Amino acid sequence: MKEQLEKVAAHISAGQPLADADIAALAETNDILTLGMLGDEARRGRHGTETTFVRVADVQVPFADGAHIDIPAAAREVRIGGRADSFDVLMPHVRRVVEAAGGIPVSAFSLEALEADAAASGRRLADLLAAVRDTGVARVADAALDQLQHAEMSLDQVRKAGLGLARLTVQHTASTTERLEHIIRARSLQQSLGWIESFAPLGRSWKPGSPSTGYDDVRQVALARLLIDNIASIQVDWSRYGPKLAQVALTVGADDIDSVSPLDETGEGRRRSPLEEVRRNILAAGLVPVERDGARHRVIS
Amino acid sequence: MSINALADTVRAGGRLTEAEALEMYLSAPTHLLGQLANEVRQRRHPDRTVTYIIDRNVNYTNVCVARCSFCAFYRPVGSPEGYVLGFDEIVRKIDETIALGGGQLLLQGGHNPDLPIEWYEDLFREVKSRYPTFRLHALSPPEVLHISRLAQISVPDVVRRLVAAGLDSIPGGGAEILVDRVRILLHCDSKASADEWIDVMRHAHRAGLKTTATMMYGSVETPAERIEHMSRLRALQDETGGFTAFIAWSYQPEHTELQGVEATGVEYLRTLATARLFLDNFPSLQASWVTQGGKVGQLSLTYGANDMGSVMIEENVVRAAGAAYCMDEIEIVRNIEDAGFEAKRRNMHYEILGGPIFRERQVPRMLELAVSRADGDNSVPAELVNYPARSRAERERRAQ
Repeated sequence: MKEQLEKVAAHISAGQPLADADIAALAETNDILTLGMLGDEARRGRHGTETTFVRVADVQVPFADGAHIDIPAAAREVRIGGRADSFDVLMPHVRRVVEAAGGIPVSAFSLEALEADAAASGRRLADLLAAVRDTGVARVADAALDQLQHAEMSLDQVRKAGLGLARLTVQHTASTTERLEHIIRARSLQQSLGWIESFAPLGRSWKPGSPSTGYDDVRQVALARLLIDNIASIQVDWSRYGPKLAQVALTVGADDIDSVSPLDETGEGRRRSPLEEVRRNILAAGLVPVERDGARHRVIS
Repeated sequence: MSINALADTVRAGGRLTEAEALEMYLSAPTHLLGQLANEVRQRRHPDRTVTYIIDRNVNYTNVCVARCSFCAFYRPVGSPEGYVLGFDEIVRKIDETIALGGGQLLLQGGHNPDLPIEWYEDLFREVKSRYPTFRLHALSPPEVLHISRLAQISVPDVVRRLVAAGLDSIPGGGAEILVDRVRILLHCDSKASADEWIDVMRHAHRAGLKTTATMMYGSVETPAERIEHMSRLRALQDETGGFTAFIAWSYQPEHTELQGVEATGVEYLRTLATARLFLDNFPSLQASWVTQGGKVGQLSLTYGANDMGSVMIEENVVRAAGAAYCMDEIEIVRNIEDAGFEAKRRNMHYEILGGPIFRERQVPRMLELAVSRADGDNSVPAELVNYPARSRAERERRAQ
């Protein structure tokens, strides 16, 4: 197996496309050191040591009448979630959040939820996306490629509505075969669309009794970086996966950390602030932290 | 020497000096450290077996006079939150451990001035009379030293008496960092200096006991002091051969007097890998999933660890400082096998006992670790009156 991985590594270094057998070898290997090293090389080739992160304020809509919308000053992206019986009921609330954000980039909703709302209400997805855009939201928050009913068409509608996508995601952890399919699907979608900026390859939910393992996660992040040469950023979620796994992911192919809290844990003092923690973890991995906003612009601090 | 030259030294089976190990820790790429540690592990354990033990971490008392600044578990003498477990409670925990396939208690506690050596002897005899083959992996070196000081008996005599009562082996707790500068800063120099910790282990090994060795890193020590710690252990291992395993775990800062931040996951993997390279005379290295979580715990198996440690069943000390990870036998075995290894149950001497117990018979799932006592349980064991109290607080409590 090691010889086969070394052969694959030579192909990657030479910029040659990987054969199906090479991809299968990568997907099944337990040699995650070699795989991780390949993922790291590919990541460094693209991003060097620079590692971006974004502090995100999550806001749920609808909220009660008269409720104060508190956007933490440190937030660099405001992300709106929530559902209601009627989609239209949400829009005034979304508009208020955009106003409260005061210029901080705002993303809203998952594309699969919007697809479902469109199907349930008999309306066109394009109309819902237009309504979201008209509130001042700049991006759909996420799109889980394993949950979308019509992934390519729906993502195309996002673009046509003048919106962006904060990141392409995967909802459920799955078998090795399915994990590989997700990666290949992400690459394929990008070949058609060409404007996806970020892919988060780790599942966003899992069975409590059998979560993904560390090997699964390292393999998935490294494979995503190695096989997806047409999406710039491979992302890992700080709050969902925790600092330790997120940091390890940075050493095997990920270059961007999502969902860092904009709130300091004041009771624990400044050294416990998420900003310090995320910077410390990136530096301890031998990388260079760079804060960005929800529009993927660098934050100058 | 360059990193590549040092890597060649490791690959040729050579021994790293302290300076070389420090250079590797500070400068070698993480993936290279992992590869080297993995190669050394494979040389030592070529059968691709990863072991684990089913046992229970029981803390018989949280009352402690040591007052280490990094500890969130202890309570001072007289605290209403202080406790001592009764013999019957400990026996009940053993019954639960046996039901889950376990054969050992890891028994440690605070330096309680009101527990004389006779209490420990009686407890051990009680356990052994009920469960003759059940193992007692008990009393870290500072506890042995504490008992020695209370009883005014030499350490070798304390060890001899405890072994006669049923002690099987000694856990490597209380080592923290075996450098007195660090121990003074951590307020743990009085419980045992670096030399005293080493000396207790030397006496235990001479008495025929096997022990483990730990390192709590990431508090106030420098990287060089971590290597110095390992060097002390390596030297004693050269002398006695009594250590079975090395366990590194990161300082857990929550709720401690010292506070601060926890070392990161990558720092853990680098520390573990460096230990595998430097501690060339230690047969086993444990993964500290209890401080790192299951995922980094599993990744440890590629950074030099060949053992997933204990199912634990119960844990109090690390939990008090903010970490609350749990893996039952099914989860530990799943992680081992998912990494491509064969999972084998072992005892404290690292003798293989067999395959996973849950494949032999039904055992209940365990989705969270037990604790020493339920909240609000302030009961005082009846047998305590049989042992003289030394502290004023305990004497006053008994007089009431």
